[in-house]
Amino acid sequence: MTDIQAPAVRTNQTDPAVAAPAQIKMTARDVNVFYGANHAIKDVSIDVDMENVTAFIGPSGCGKSTFLRTLNRMNDTISIAKVTGDITLDGEDIYSSDMDVVQLRARVGMVFQKPNPFPKSIYENVAYGPRIHGLAPARRDMDQIVESALRRAGLWEEVKDRLSDSGTALSGGQQQRLCIARAIAVDPEVILMDEPCSALDPIATAKIEELIHALRGKYAIVIVTHNMQQAARVSQKTAFFHLGHLVEYGETSEIFTNPRQERTKDYITGRYG
Amino acid sequence: MQKRIRRRYAAERRFKFMGLAAVVLSAGFLAFLLVTMLSNGLAGFSRTEVALPIDFPAAKLDVTAKQLQNRGADLALAGAGLDEVVDKAATAAFGEQGIDIISDRAWTEVREALKSDPTLLSRKARIDVPVSQDVQNALDGGGKPAMRAIVSGMQAKGLFSNKFDFGFLTSADSTDPTNVGIWGALKGSLFTMLVTLLIAFPIGVLSAVYLEEYAPRNRWTDLIEVSINNLAAVPSIIFGLLGLAVFLSFLNLPRSASLVGGLTLALMIMPVIVIASRNAIKAVPPSIRDAALGVGASKVQVIFHHVLPLALPGILTGTIIGMARALGETAPLLMIGMRAFIAQPPEGLTDPATVLPVQIFLWSDQVSRGFVERTSAAIIVLLVFLLAMNALAIYLRNRFETRW
Ligand SMILES: Nc1ncnc2c1ncn2[C@@H]1O[C@H](COP(=O)(O)OP(=O)(O)OP(=O)(O)O)[C@@H](O)[C@H]1O
Ligand SMILES: [Mg+2]
Repeated sequence: MTDIQAPAVRTNQTDPAVAAPAQIKMTARDVNVFYGANHAIKDVSIDVDMENVTAFIGPSGCGKSTFLRTLNRMNDTISIAKVTGDITLDGEDIYSSDMDVVQLRARVGMVFQKPNPFPKSIYENVAYGPRIHGLAPARRDMDQIVESALRRAGLWEEVKDRLSDSGTALSGGQQQRLCIARAIAVDPEVILMDEPCSALDPIATAKIEELIHALRGKYAIVIVTHNMQQAARVSQKTAFFHLGHLVEYGETSEIFTNPRQERTKDYITGRYG
Repeated sequence: MQKRIRRRYAAERRFKFMGLAAVVLSAGFLAFLLVTMLSNGLAGFSRTEVALPIDFPAAKLDVTAKQLQNRGADLALAGAGLDEVVDKAATAAFGEQGIDIISDRAWTEVREALKSDPTLLSRKARIDVPVSQDVQNALDGGGKPAMRAIVSGMQAKGLFSNKFDFGFLTSADSTDPTNVGIWGALKGSLFTMLVTLLIAFPIGVLSAVYLEEYAPRNRWTDLIEVSINNLAAVPSIIFGLLGLAVFLSFLNLPRSASLVGGLTLALMIMPVIVIASRNAIKAVPPSIRDAALGVGASKVQVIFHHVLPLALPGILTGTIIGMARALGETAPLLMIGMRAFIAQPPEGLTDPATVLPVQIFLWSDQVSRGFVERTSAAIIVLLVFLLAMNALAIYLRNRFETRW
């Protein structure tokens, strides 16, 4: 785990177009997901890199969210969902009985499509995760965690004078950055983002994209998006899903300029979707 | 086209008018109830008193001023024959009918007066004492003609006065309507509601949490759900029979006690609380659960940190509706013996007690005229209690309401 985060590997994080040398953070092998009789994910195998941003693209209903949710076992909360196959985090099987799901979700954080701050103060929103994991025994430590999380989410300057206001009183884009701050406050290793910008205007979207650039290298990031330009802008690896299959997975530049599969090409050029 | 639009506006106006009519009608009923209650009932809170001159030095009461300040004052005065002294004073003042003019408890008023001012022992004094029911009837234009004549004579001399009856708020049931009080029933109601709340609220909310969050969806939980919905609609008298069978016959708990009443009513309102709580829990947006799970909260943490606080206003509303229903409930309490005549306010949960609605029921059954006003007064007390409870509910709901 330590050598994966070795600083030497972070050198080319500033150039978003170039994929860093692969340091595999999570692996999925032959993953299948069923919602009752609905076979939503079919034999998907994929490696998620530590140093790269991975984008999941594909037409609506192809299973991007479903697959993303298998990576931190959020599908456990859906009673009819059944997951088979192997998924590992740093080589540990996350579906094994030794893996504590609460611990897993602290290590693999999630940002949702719709901003969903708790109806509590901005401070409480960020402090909640560290508090339940006992990361800040003293009030001063907590203040520090909250501030640094909000800073890294690029929200500090906007909210520092009103930390006790309700998180739901922020604008949509601010709320989404608050949710990102909440996710990084527990210091996860992986951040999963399910269409984080779909409810936001272009300026807020640009802020989130900047944020993703800034977070790259510190966290492994997986982002689901419907926006091809966004995928091209923020990611170094792209996975194209179609009807539950992983059709193609590779360097973003490759996928967008020179897709190997006909279906990928059709989707990227907008022939369906 | 023009015609269609006009028709649509007319329909809208009609609908609005019908809604308004419905509101006016229900407000009218409510106003009628309140006005009749108040006009009848306010008299129930007051009592007529007559100024009774007593010559204490002449009566030669065998007590000292010192004794009157001790704890044994009541006993000393009773032993010294204060009641006879008062009766004699009444005969002396109002003629041979005197004893019938003052209430049976007149001497206790004199006793209290003596205790608060022992110097009375050494002089003549006029003390206001309550009148008897006969006089009260005569004043209201009823009763025997002979009494009416005496009373109108006294009235002309300005001997009567109307006072707020503190006794009504501090004593319990009695056979004499001038003597009755609501405190016993009120205390019984308080105890009963306390037991009901302490049992029904935690059990109801926890059941709701379990059913919503943990129970698997299968035939058994479906069955439980149907049963709960049915239980909420079961007539209350059935719960009374259940309480009788379980708490009295099987568990041998004391009869007529507010403990048993509270347990029985808890059975009755538990389904209401469960249903309201489940709906409130269901209404918590799933995105909040996802958010909490996403930062690594366990299921219990999600429930206690996020779901229950957000569901609390709904849960409280349901609980208060249930409690209000329990407060007004009579039938099941009759089954477990809370209709007994109880002249002592209950001291604890296991003492024999009665509750406000049962007390109202009992008084409304009495033939004596004085009980009519008392019944109305008791109804006012019940309504005030209910109002206070609902006000508390609204306060709590606003307090815990989350602004999104
Ligand atoms: N909670 C659920 N219960 C049952 N079926 C579900 C559930 N969530 C998703 N599905 C099914 O799984 C399939 C994949 O859904 P998923 O949400 O993963 O698609 P997606 O790629 O994220 O789509 P979108 O781009 O519209 O978000 C769909 O057929 C959907 O109907
Ligand atoms: Mg989706």
